[in-house]
Amino acid sequence: MAEGGRRLHSAGSAIAVSLAGLLIALLLNAPGLHKSATIQPAGWKRDTALAVTGPLESVSGALLLDRPRRALKAVFGRSEDDQVDTAVVLAPEEPAIGAAPAPPPKRETVSPKHKLRLWIAGDSFVVVPGESLLRAAAENRAITSVGKIDGRIATGLERPDVFNWFTHVRDEVRSKKPGAVVLMFGGNDDHGFMTGLPEGTQIGSFGSPSWQAEYRRRVAGLMDTIARSGAFVVWIGLPISRDASQTQRYDTINAIVQQEAAKRPGHVAYLDTYFFFAGDDGGFSEYIADDTGKLVKMRADDGVHFERPAGDLIAEKVLEHLEKRYDLTSWRRSS
Amino acid sequence: MLFPTATFAIFFMVVLALSWLLMPRGERWRPFMIVASFVFYAGWDWRFCFLLAFSIVWNQVFAIALHNRRDERTRKWLLAGALTGDLGLLAYFKYYDFFVTSTNNLFAFGGIDVPLEARSIILPVGISFFTFMGIAYVVDVYRLDFEPVGFGKFAAYLSFFPHLVAGPIVRPGELIPQFSSPRDPRYVDTSRAFFLIGTGLFMKVVVANFLAANIVDEVFGAPNQHSSLEVLVGVYAYGVQIYADFFGYTNMAIGIALLLGFTFPQNFDAPYSATSITDFWRRWHMTLSRWLRDYLYIPLGGNRGGKLFTYRNLMLTMLIGGLWHGAGWTFIAWGAIHGAALVAERWWRERPGFVERPWTRGRRAWHRFATFQVVCFAWVFFRSDSFADAWDLIVRMFTAWGEPSPLVTGGVLAAIAVGIGSQYLPRRFPLMIMARFSRLPVPAQAAVLSLALLVTHAMGPEGVAPFIYFQF
Repeated sequence: MAEGGRRLHSAGSAIAVSLAGLLIALLLNAPGLHKSATIQPAGWKRDTALAVTGPLESVSGALLLDRPRRALKAVFGRSEDDQVDTAVVLAPEEPAIGAAPAPPPKRETVSPKHKLRLWIAGDSFVVVPGESLLRAAAENRAITSVGKIDGRIATGLERPDVFNWFTHVRDEVRSKKPGAVVLMFGGNDDHGFMTGLPEGTQIGSFGSPSWQAEYRRRVAGLMDTIARSGAFVVWIGLPISRDASQTQRYDTINAIVQQEAAKRPGHVAYLDTYFFFAGDDGGFSEYIADDTGKLVKMRADDGVHFERPAGDLIAEKVLEHLEKRYDLTSWRRSS
Repeated sequence: MLFPTATFAIFFMVVLALSWLLMPRGERWRPFMIVASFVFYAGWDWRFCFLLAFSIVWNQVFAIALHNRRDERTRKWLLAGALTGDLGLLAYFKYYDFFVTSTNNLFAFGGIDVPLEARSIILPVGISFFTFMGIAYVVDVYRLDFEPVGFGKFAAYLSFFPHLVAGPIVRPGELIPQFSSPRDPRYVDTSRAFFLIGTGLFMKVVVANFLAANIVDEVFGAPNQHSSLEVLVGVYAYGVQIYADFFGYTNMAIGIALLLGFTFPQNFDAPYSATSITDFWRRWHMTLSRWLRDYLYIPLGGNRGGKLFTYRNLMLTMLIGGLWHGAGWTFIAWGAIHGAALVAERWWRERPGFVERPWTRGRRAWHRFATFQVVCFAWVFFRSDSFADAWDLIVRMFTAWGEPSPLVTGGVLAAIAVGIGSQYLPRRFPLMIMARFSRLPVPAQAAVLSLALLVTHAMGPEGVAPFIYFQF
């Protein structure tokens, strides 16, 4: 007996309870585990996980053991958590802004009465610049955020099964009606594995012509979905990374985004971040000296993400792009 | 390899079975556990296994040398050598860039260019924890409190995977003797182990992650976008988040060790029910508190000198404790706030004519409330990236009352209530649950465990956010 009158058990009992508990939990959580397996990066781990969780989900469903989880998810309003959605829903081709460029819209004036509605979305990269942008925007009463920063870790445009940005952006643009959308994607897209391909389509490895064509289609479609709603897009390009080969892959993605943005003047602006964060030798540098010679930590320890000063710098440049499309400050003179 | 993942569950089931199988033969069990722990550590970055191995060899060599020498002068030099190596490693991996940037920026004011460059060094996970445990071993041997053990036992002690990456910081005298004799497979405290693992998972996966995603990250990211109420609740929420995160991890670590037959010391004792900052440090990260007391505060002189000498030692200990958490001035500020509060409390109690009044319910409640406010105020600096960010947040806390507060939802308040309320539960309550669980037959225990895993997994977010204390 131990404290409180609890019984001690044998090691065999500990192993049996652990094993049985885990096995039953596997069956009870099978839908969630199958989704977790599905959205893993391509490779043997994903293949193995799918080979295990696929049959597990079938058994769980047949024995109705998936019901408690579904009920719990429903109670918390998260019924769609376990669904895998790979539909790449894009703006229809005609009349595509990219195909037949619409004339750049006139510069609009915003004010505290007619605010610029700002929405910030993307992968984990967007979080820090997004926070900086929100802080900077708070100083201008003509700009309002239409929601929290929609930065989703480990997502991108390659894998709608992980998170479907195409339907999410369409729905959010419809419901939030932003005037400007700041996007940053691609941090997790530097791989060859793409889901949600049109039926019969096969793509080659990362950067191959077929990969680039499909990725371009997705970037262009996303830009058009937003631009058609009347919102202006500022798309932040990927920065230099500590890993030189990753930087090269990011260059491929940046080139596609830059080219597609250039096809949509006045509707989409591309913000190149590469040289903001290159060191004196042109390579990656975690620290950059500011005007006073003070060393400032720009990049996170992982060699990829941003630190706050980097976010502030990007936010400043995003605001410059917004200022070109919207008159953000003249209301101050008239008020 | 994070605890709340399927990969770890598979790893642990294999290790659990083999560990008990090999337990009667220590000479086989130890190499097995060392290999298992290195596999666990390699899950982050295999290259740092060499660092862990170096730390094991370094401390063991010096411990043996210290044990074999009787000359006090030589022993002091050996101790200094051991500590230089341990702290040198920590300084290089954790503080080099901080030192370079701080020096550079200091001299930049005077227009002097310092020829030192930051190196973007990757921080090895758990280095602060295993370095402190290595130091404890060498210092205990130096003080003749502990005799050095064989290489296998020491390697198993330092690398033992349940405590490896984020503690608790277990003393040599607490764990190494447990490695000396096989654990009795007939008496395993399984009900406590499963209770700790279950509550740990819930606190981390549900409470901590929910608060981080729904208010804390938003508020600390852009405080000027939020109302004063949101900022205030966001700060309290961070207090609960960091507790739930670290308490959750520690509970899992202690529970996992228990299933393997080993007992770790307690690391938390309802810290938000503390009635003073002194009391808080007896309840929060207890294994770090006592490490700082025994290996820093007391060697500094403790309270053996005058009042001012004691205050200096308290401040120094807390400043270094702050720096241990992270290479940044905001962490030092966090330590300074706690140090100042400890000094103030000590001064108050030691002033002439002070008489400790008996605790009434109201007085206790007021002290708990005030202590929680000080702790949360210090968390602002701990969580903020810079003093400017911390200041923005503090200012906002007082200047935006009456604005809409959409982040202050029922869910957020409920999670905060769970995090704080759980610390006020009568002690008999968890004991009763564990006792009842222990009387269930094996199939029923398995069913309860699986239901707990169902609820946690279903309520938690997709994926697992890293533990806050891994970065320290």
